[in-house]
Amino acid sequence: MTLPDLDLSTRAVTTGRPAVRGRAGTRPRRPVITGILLAILCVVVLSPFIWMTLSVTKPTDVAFANPPVLGGYEPTLKAFVDLWETTYFADYLVNTIVVAVVSTVIALAIGIPAAYALSRYPSYVSALLLVLALIFRALPRFAVVLPMYDISRALGIYDTTFALAIALVAINQPFTIWLLRNFFADIPRELDEAAMIDGCTRIGMLRRVMIPLMGPGILTAGIFVFLFAFQEYLTALVLTDTSSKTVPVFIATQLGQTLPMLQQAGAASMLLTIPVFVIAFIAQKYLVAGLSDGAVKG
Amino acid sequence: MKAREFWLLFFPSLVVMGGLLVLPLLRTIQWSLEEVHYGTPGTFVGLQNFVAALTDARFGRAALFTVVVTVITTIILLVLGYIVATGINRLTTSRPLVLGIMLVSYVLPNLVGAVAFSWLFDDNFGGVMNRLIGFFSGTQVLWFTDQVPNAVLVIANTVWHMLPFAMLIILAGLQGVPAELREAATIDGANAWQTHLSVIIPTIRGVLGFVTLITIMDVLRMFDNLIPLSPQAASIGNESIMMYVYSVAFADGAQKLGLGSAINVLTIILILVMLVPFIRGIFKEAKAER
Repeated sequence: MTLPDLDLSTRAVTTGRPAVRGRAGTRPRRPVITGILLAILCVVVLSPFIWMTLSVTKPTDVAFANPPVLGGYEPTLKAFVDLWETTYFADYLVNTIVVAVVSTVIALAIGIPAAYALSRYPSYVSALLLVLALIFRALPRFAVVLPMYDISRALGIYDTTFALAIALVAINQPFTIWLLRNFFADIPRELDEAAMIDGCTRIGMLRRVMIPLMGPGILTAGIFVFLFAFQEYLTALVLTDTSSKTVPVFIATQLGQTLPMLQQAGAASMLLTIPVFVIAFIAQKYLVAGLSDGAVKG
Repeated sequence: MKAREFWLLFFPSLVVMGGLLVLPLLRTIQWSLEEVHYGTPGTFVGLQNFVAALTDARFGRAALFTVVVTVITTIILLVLGYIVATGINRLTTSRPLVLGIMLVSYVLPNLVGAVAFSWLFDDNFGGVMNRLIGFFSGTQVLWFTDQVPNAVLVIANTVWHMLPFAMLIILAGLQGVPAELREAATIDGANAWQTHLSVIIPTIRGVLGFVTLITIMDVLRMFDNLIPLSPQAASIGNESIMMYVYSVAFADGAQKLGLGSAINVLTIILILVMLVPFIRGIFKEAKAER
């Protein structure tokens, strides 16, 4: 199993070609049947969201009726209003966004130089560090998160957005470096040398030549680190209590509650789903490249 | 690049990973050999925690459930991922739309996706699936309190969540298969079935291996999706290894940190063994480059 197998899509992003393209010589055999089957698959894939949207926009008394009520009711956004007014959802949403933004910024700030160094340093050290990065990427989350809980209590930073953000930086750092390093590896070394002959220092070269060239790669890594922080449940569950709780943790605690709160949990889920839909379409090229290349979810 | 420059650039990242990954990991290994509570130093008890873990029937059930779900999910993902990728590879203009829809279940927080997924099956939420099943077969399935249907539900959700990943990696692999190869197979008289089985699949086996590796690693660690999908996991025997660790070492003031850490260490050993071929690949690549 070799990595060059997966290099394909990095180049697609860095050179601006569409990430996925038709292969010459493919006969369009029975595209109609393929199309119908894929359309059915799309509906199946989306069905949980369709059902949830219906449940959340029904009046509370018929929302979860069995047999389901499919018509004859007045659609309402009451669950969203209640969610906003009767819970601390707004705070949790702010926490989630702050954690995601802070961890993305720090992860890129320390990850970019490290990934660049790894892509250029010609020795086994670089391969060894990549292997270590891969191993840490594969660890069961609790093996690092439970000690982090103990340490954060001892340091008095337990239940702060900063502690959660920095924990996520560390947890996602192996993936960040791995992904960025694959992008850097595609940039010819001659370019570094030319810039340095022209009088740039290594750091100046990284800032003036590499980072502009790496735009798409950095964007890809940034989107992924942001999404991972945004998605994180387990780490947030252990490292937060009340003041820095994030939305996924909030949704999980609402699950054990009674009907109106369940509908609010659904409303909260919907509010998270909508931006994700947008990301899936707008940033599709980068998601596809990152998945095929870094290919390792944190 | 000089060694000094390398370490200078790598240093900040190294500090963060060293302090927040390596040190906690060492602490876990230390705890696995101790009788210990949060905030207080532990006492060394040797391999007692490992013995306790390996002789605990509940851990045995959790490990069995996790491994069974992992194996079945991996097989389904490879087969389904290959079929869907082959289908999408034929699309042209509608491809971005289909990929966008497929990506949603992967990009959404696993827990949130699982909540939405569970509502389709829960009779308290309208019971859409049971209505459908009842319409065709006249039976009702207890998705949340019966062990096997609940395991099916967990597998279905995991496949739903990870299919976009498997499909995209396989799609990237399919695009690397030269058209000449397929044409040659057709000229030699191979039918579609034979072309897939003996030409395309062997060509992309590296990619398939990679999907297998990541799927196994991620499903072995499953936790988030079981919270909504299997609220009675422990009593019906559908607990994952990570849920077991959580319940002995953290939930509701649980303090068996030594036992939880020992299970973490056992899981790490299992994962390391599976990583060996991939690590060999990296070193081979490093050797080839220099």
